[in-house]
Amino acid sequence: MNNSLPCWSPRRWYGELRHVWRDTRLLVLSAQIAAIYASVLIPFKVGIPIIPGFVELRPANVIPIVSSLLFGPAAAWGAGIGNVIGDCFGTLGPASLFGFLGNFLYGYVPYLLWGNLGWLSSGREPVVRSWRQGMEYVIVIACASMVCAATIGWGVELLGLLPFWLLFPAIFLNNLVMATLLGPPLLLFLYPRVKQWNLYYRDLAFEAAAGPRQDPAGDRLLPASSQSAVAESVAVSIQDVTFRPIHAERSVLKHVSLVVPRGELVVLMGRSGSGKSSLCYVLNGLVPRFIQGEWTGTVMVHGQRTTQIPVWQQANCVGMVFQDFETQLVSTNVEAELRCALEAQGGTHDFTGEESFHEHVRRLLDLVGLPGLERRDPFSLSGGQRQRLVVASVLVREPPVIVMDQPLTDLDPAGRQQFLRLLAELNAKGITIIIAGHGVDDLVEADRVCVLDAGELVWQGTPRELLGQPDLAGRYGVTPYPLAECFRGRGAGNLPATVEEAWQLADTLGLSLVAPQSSEQTSNVARSEPPATVLELSNVSAHYQPGVPALSRVSVSFQAGEFVAILGQNGSGKSTLAKLCNGLLSPSEGRVLVLGSDTQQTGVLSSLVGYVFQNPDHQIFAETVRKEVAFGAENAGCSPHQCDVRVTEALQAVGLTGAEELDPFSLTKGERQRVAVASILAAKPRILIVDEPTTGLDAEESARMMNMMRALHRQGHTIIVITHEMGIVANYATRCVLMRGGTILADGPTRDVFSDPELIRSAALALPALTRFAQRWGVTLLTVEEVRKAWRTP
Amino acid sequence: MNLSLYVDAQTWVHRLDGRTKILCLLGLFALSLLFSDPVYLSGLCAGVLALVIRAQSLHNLKKIWVLLALLFVYSVVLWPFFVEGATPLFTIGGLTVMQEGVLHGMGMGLRLNAMLISGIVLLSTTSIEELGEASNRLGVPRPLGFSLSLAFRWVPNLLGSIGAVIQAQRSRGLDVQSKGVFGKIRRYPPLIVPLIGHTLRQTNLLAMALESKGFGAGQVRHPLFVSKMHGSDYAALAVIAALVMGGLWMRLNGYGTI
Repeated sequence: MNNSLPCWSPRRWYGELRHVWRDTRLLVLSAQIAAIYASVLIPFKVGIPIIPGFVELRPANVIPIVSSLLFGPAAAWGAGIGNVIGDCFGTLGPASLFGFLGNFLYGYVPYLLWGNLGWLSSGREPVVRSWRQGMEYVIVIACASMVCAATIGWGVELLGLLPFWLLFPAIFLNNLVMATLLGPPLLLFLYPRVKQWNLYYRDLAFEAAAGPRQDPAGDRLLPASSQSAVAESVAVSIQDVTFRPIHAERSVLKHVSLVVPRGELVVLMGRSGSGKSSLCYVLNGLVPRFIQGEWTGTVMVHGQRTTQIPVWQQANCVGMVFQDFETQLVSTNVEAELRCALEAQGGTHDFTGEESFHEHVRRLLDLVGLPGLERRDPFSLSGGQRQRLVVASVLVREPPVIVMDQPLTDLDPAGRQQFLRLLAELNAKGITIIIAGHGVDDLVEADRVCVLDAGELVWQGTPRELLGQPDLAGRYGVTPYPLAECFRGRGAGNLPATVEEAWQLADTLGLSLVAPQSSEQTSNVARSEPPATVLELSNVSAHYQPGVPALSRVSVSFQAGEFVAILGQNGSGKSTLAKLCNGLLSPSEGRVLVLGSDTQQTGVLSSLVGYVFQNPDHQIFAETVRKEVAFGAENAGCSPHQCDVRVTEALQAVGLTGAEELDPFSLTKGERQRVAVASILAAKPRILIVDEPTTGLDAEESARMMNMMRALHRQGHTIIVITHEMGIVANYATRCVLMRGGTILADGPTRDVFSDPELIRSAALALPALTRFAQRWGVTLLTVEEVRKAWRTP
Repeated sequence: MNLSLYVDAQTWVHRLDGRTKILCLLGLFALSLLFSDPVYLSGLCAGVLALVIRAQSLHNLKKIWVLLALLFVYSVVLWPFFVEGATPLFTIGGLTVMQEGVLHGMGMGLRLNAMLISGIVLLSTTSIEELGEASNRLGVPRPLGFSLSLAFRWVPNLLGSIGAVIQAQRSRGLDVQSKGVFGKIRRYPPLIVPLIGHTLRQTNLLAMALESKGFGAGQVRHPLFVSKMHGSDYAALAVIAALVMGGLWMRLNGYGTI
């Protein structure tokens, strides 16, 4: 690639278009642009059958223009491929070739022309902030639209399908109008973020022009004798590693040294941002080969320096499972997924024929608990099954080391148990496993826990040692083990790490539990008069596909001022039930009444029932926190002054006062989640539904989020939390609706529901350790405080 | 969410090598382009329809039958304005519609339908991985095919994300049903920005995930098993070649045109 060549040079075109194929990040970008373009095009291709570009305005056509100005040649491939994919949903034909060409040029011309129009060029970045930039933008998109329309119009006429003068003006005008109206605001929003994420093409091109990636100068080589000793005795050796990514203000790893013997199971702990993920990425060379920056230190995995070879070549040695495991699934069926992983290996497999490969796949799927699913589409599997498929696709290459970045985050209790069993089996086979996580109680059988704080390795020991020191765990943001906290101050030498150990310790200390006074247990729900019903569902059913009910004849009501948890494993119907409550979904049968109004008549009731989605990134679109939070209030018809007041109140409620002018995308996930809650609160709903509010948050962030919910509840909001985190339910919810398979299995005070272990088990959930512990004495306790009050000494 | 048209079945069409299916598709396209007479093109449509039935893919055709019907109607209505003729058929509001124009429109509509139905046969019987492998062996650069299959894989996720974004903004009071061009344009940024932002935020992660699984852009990949052409593949190619040659002969001798 040579950027010194003029923009009209075919040599430059050839070089930079081929460069996209040689850089994984650019290849991914081109596929992402294609996927976005196709996703927005498909409804116009098949849902609204029209002559393309003729009848309906197609806003999707702004995407190649914006992508081109931000991502350069990757956008050209993306636009072309995206159009072909759109055709693959029903309109594939010879004209698709011209569609590909036309869109390819539509996604390439703007990049080529921007800044290369002589005196017409603004000489500035590709956003419209001045009249010169605006003029340059219009010229660029007019040229691109014309080239695209001419190519497709000519091609389609060549095939004798439609006359040129019918299609050309339609495509040209549609592209021009859409890009003129929608392009500037999109660019204004996306440009700074793309720069922040280090994806702006001219920055990437500058990096590439600086030369091929080389081993960082700070990487020291061990003496040969040390290397052989390291290779034989240990799986992983990290020596004095310090790393500061480009553009980062501080180091994410500071002088970290760690040796992991072969076959060990090691857990990395610490709060969000402590460096756990970075340390995982170090182990297969992603840091510093992919995520570049200032680096010193040495990392050896099975005698191989991770900085010496490309990341993709290390997949045979280190298997990596990412927190967002779905990013690793690339094929359309399970067997193809495993086959793809093997083909990337580079021919070192020893299969004698297809049958031996199928046999290998069968054995592997049996091992990970997915027998007989060879032909299934990965995306038709449950979350837990998909994660185990990712593990299988890593195992297929038989790496001696597997690294997992927070693999338990999105799993419900049943999925978590299956995954932990798989881990134990793999570890028993001698595979070295390194896992990053927030809580250690699930991984109590691990050989070692390493705690990181602000990039430093601050503590190492066994899980039991950590669980036995709740203060230490709390100091470093590790989820403390509630049972250990119950025994604090009771004269126990070693605090318990499992329920069984806790029972044993209680026996040793002669402790038992008695039921607290009934008034203590129920005081928080006792009321002088019955509260008003704010939400009522009567015999409600809902379907996403005909014949497959997501919800079957459910009846439930919610009273003002309640704090309710809707509980169930993934796919049990929790979110469907909640979306029916504010009119986002309409019931196929039955009635949903919100304050007496039927949602089928009223539609979405955003001002009465606020719904906070699990992923805040599905709603954030404004440049500042203030604008983002004001969006709900503006839609509710508030005046600018009212909006300002509501924004101030909402940010105060979520503890983000002072963050008004910050870019919401620059915040942590916990903070973005709070912005999402604030934007709902600004519409002043009486009922607040929050979907999985603690997923992906560390112990401190989770506690902050749930304490905020409690505060809102005390202010008079009715709170409905959807979750499968049993500890959250036990600590915060006064009532619990337990769901399974689209029906309500139980509905009542949390204590009553939790008092029946069989009921909880039948919903594929697991009681919190603390509750299970207490049930030995026939009492149902939910919090550490309750246990402390219920101790009876001999 | 599975949007792919691929039907996991074991018909003889499915069993053909991917390369054979692509080459046969090109042959069918060529046949469509050779003729403009609606009678000939009706025969071709009937032929590819029979293939759809043999490939157990009729339900895919049902998904787009409205599109096929409308394309035919558009073609019949629009072409008479661009094709001159000598045989007046009828007059509407002073505009005389010629028989040649209507026939041409019918022919072009049938041509479009024959091509699209042929495409349906390929997409219903060939998985995206098979398509990528076959196109690579026919000379399409591997990264292009890989990029296409990745994008194809992500489309259902993105459509799911679009659904989630729409619901999230509706729950904040956005009126997604607003009518009129300006209403639609105004509601577009709150819908498209989170989608693009959320997707781009994952770019680095996706690239890292791919490299960690052993996929490096620019690396040479080694297929586990190289698919082989069988007798049925050669037979299918021979039949399609004969049809194209026959069609060419007919066309050169004046058959199949209006």
